[in-house]
Amino acid sequence: MNPLLSVNNLTTSFNLDDGDLYAVNGIDITLHQGEILAIVGESGSGKSVSLLSVMGLIPMPPGRIEEGEVLFEGKDLLKMSYREMCRIRGNEIAMIFQDPMTSLNPVMRIGDQIGEALMLHLNMTKTRARKRAVELLELVGIPDADRRTRDYPHQFSGGMRQRVMIAMALSCEPKIIIADEPTTALDVTIQTQIINLVKRLQSELGMSVVWISHDLGIVASIADRVAVMYAGKIVEKGTVDDIFYHPRHPYTLGLLKSIPRLDSDESGQLEEIPGHAHVCFDQPSHCSFANRCEFKTERCFQEIPILYETDIGRTRSACFHWSRLSENENV
Amino acid sequence: MRSSRGNRILEYLVVFVIAVSLNFFLPRLMPGNPLALLAGVDVGLMTPEEKAKVKEEAGLDRPLWEQYIDYWNDLLHGDFGYSYKQKAPITKMIGDRLPWTLLITGSSLIISAIFGVIFGAISAWNRAKPVDIGLLWTMILMGSMPTFWLGMMLISIVSVDLQLLPSFGAMTPAFFGTFWESVADVASHTILPVITLSVWSIPGVYLTMRYTMLSVLGADFIRTARSKGLSEKTVLFRHVVRNSLAPVVTVLAIRLGFAFGGTVVVETVFSYPGLGRLIFESVSGRDYPVLQATFLVITVAVLVSNILADMLYPLLDPRAKAN
Repeated sequence: MNPLLSVNNLTTSFNLDDGDLYAVNGIDITLHQGEILAIVGESGSGKSVSLLSVMGLIPMPPGRIEEGEVLFEGKDLLKMSYREMCRIRGNEIAMIFQDPMTSLNPVMRIGDQIGEALMLHLNMTKTRARKRAVELLELVGIPDADRRTRDYPHQFSGGMRQRVMIAMALSCEPKIIIADEPTTALDVTIQTQIINLVKRLQSELGMSVVWISHDLGIVASIADRVAVMYAGKIVEKGTVDDIFYHPRHPYTLGLLKSIPRLDSDESGQLEEIPGHAHVCFDQPSHCSFANRCEFKTERCFQEIPILYETDIGRTRSACFHWSRLSENENV
Repeated sequence: MRSSRGNRILEYLVVFVIAVSLNFFLPRLMPGNPLALLAGVDVGLMTPEEKAKVKEEAGLDRPLWEQYIDYWNDLLHGDFGYSYKQKAPITKMIGDRLPWTLLITGSSLIISAIFGVIFGAISAWNRAKPVDIGLLWTMILMGSMPTFWLGMMLISIVSVDLQLLPSFGAMTPAFFGTFWESVADVASHTILPVITLSVWSIPGVYLTMRYTMLSVLGADFIRTARSKGLSEKTVLFRHVVRNSLAPVVTVLAIRLGFAFGGTVVVETVFSYPGLGRLIFESVSGRDYPVLQATFLVITVAVLVSNILADMLYPLLDPRAKAN
């Protein structure tokens, strides 16, 4: 089956005063019909930038897409004209952003903000769009939806605003929803509600979802497949169970070990990955994670690893030494 | 919500009472004879009978609190007192001058609102491109030109050398013509003062608009709007501009208040018979009662335009309604 979306060798750079910063360094992503793909990584690992590049929402300048292709239903989004791209955005691929407090227009009624895309893409009249906005608000669980379409964003709580964002993203029934850390700014209880809501809607409506997050707990509860990003590259990808139980990249292992556990060892000390995330000015010449890695060898500082097949079925790891992780696991 | 609106009005009333009281007490606290303040330097030439008459007319022989109450009473009846210098009621003097002032300050306010907002928006939308840099430099140059210098240059070039427009006054003296010819005559007299005022006024509005719009352009909800597939034009007009207008409207409302005060420099340069020119004449003639009255007019105008701004703001930004 052909993937719905396939990103090949995407490279995005930002021209800054100190030089060119390579935020995304030749990544490949595939997304199939009806699946939830999680992209995981620390802040600054390039996960948001890579998906904003897909949407054509990188501010240019200073941003620049150096190379790569983004195939959506076989057509390259990066080669599309501005007009064609406008027909994709919000209609075929929609986005949910991180901060619901600032992502809604403060001086526009909620109903109008939802209706805007409906009138644009589905040619609805104002009355039809308003009716549909009420239905959408009901769908995402906002009580008293009819009255609330006339409210402004500041009259909603954070969790409710994120539901509004979701309703907005769903409005034109897109094939793909890109959720950029949609629960990061919310309380834990609200987080769970939002996750369950997205899961429910995804299975009811059969969309595909790309869920960007740095929270492995959330990823475990929502995703089918996971791609782990580090310093603008995908270092490991596989099914959610494989990645969580049989990590084959030292960075993934480090992330998993740094999750606080109730049943952790007696010392109560939290584990961390030594060192800091790498910022790539210029294209890297070796494994970006090498200087923080416990498995590093000379080779790690001389070559760039590609994504290798591993002993775990569908898992691919960008580590020369993935087999040593496998040996460790069996001890 | 309603109570806070009421509180706001109450605050303005308190400010108004304080301003009026200051206006009453300050001249009486100043050193020297209040009579001299009222009648000016001529007081030395007056006979004792004349002095007594003026004192009685002005109520200076009565207790202070009675004078204070009378002052309020007169004021609320629209009576600002009498100018002994010009031998005319002050209310009438101000009434004669105010329309002329409002004609030029009002026109330049509208012009600066339109051009300031449009140029500011163009600049912000094309940030750091040649258009933006060119506009920014032009505006800074315009804003830093002294109005008296610009006024005199315009007079010497447009009126004297080119003989295109009249150089002084609000209309040609003893002008006879049809109604429309009179309108054209008055209009031709306003052009140079309005240009001078606008050149000074546009940059302020421009800079406010440019700055606000730049910060709106970087806001998350603009990215949201783009992610919906809206065209750049729709993003600009529906999302960016609407969010940028509130601070600009506030700036304009406050300027509207000061517009009532006229502009001393410009009206003097063009010998324009407005309130600013009246202030200038009163200062040079030491006509304190007139000065006091004009200051009060300006105070009230500024207060009222502040109330106006307060009432307009929630219409442009619904968040202001909540607090």
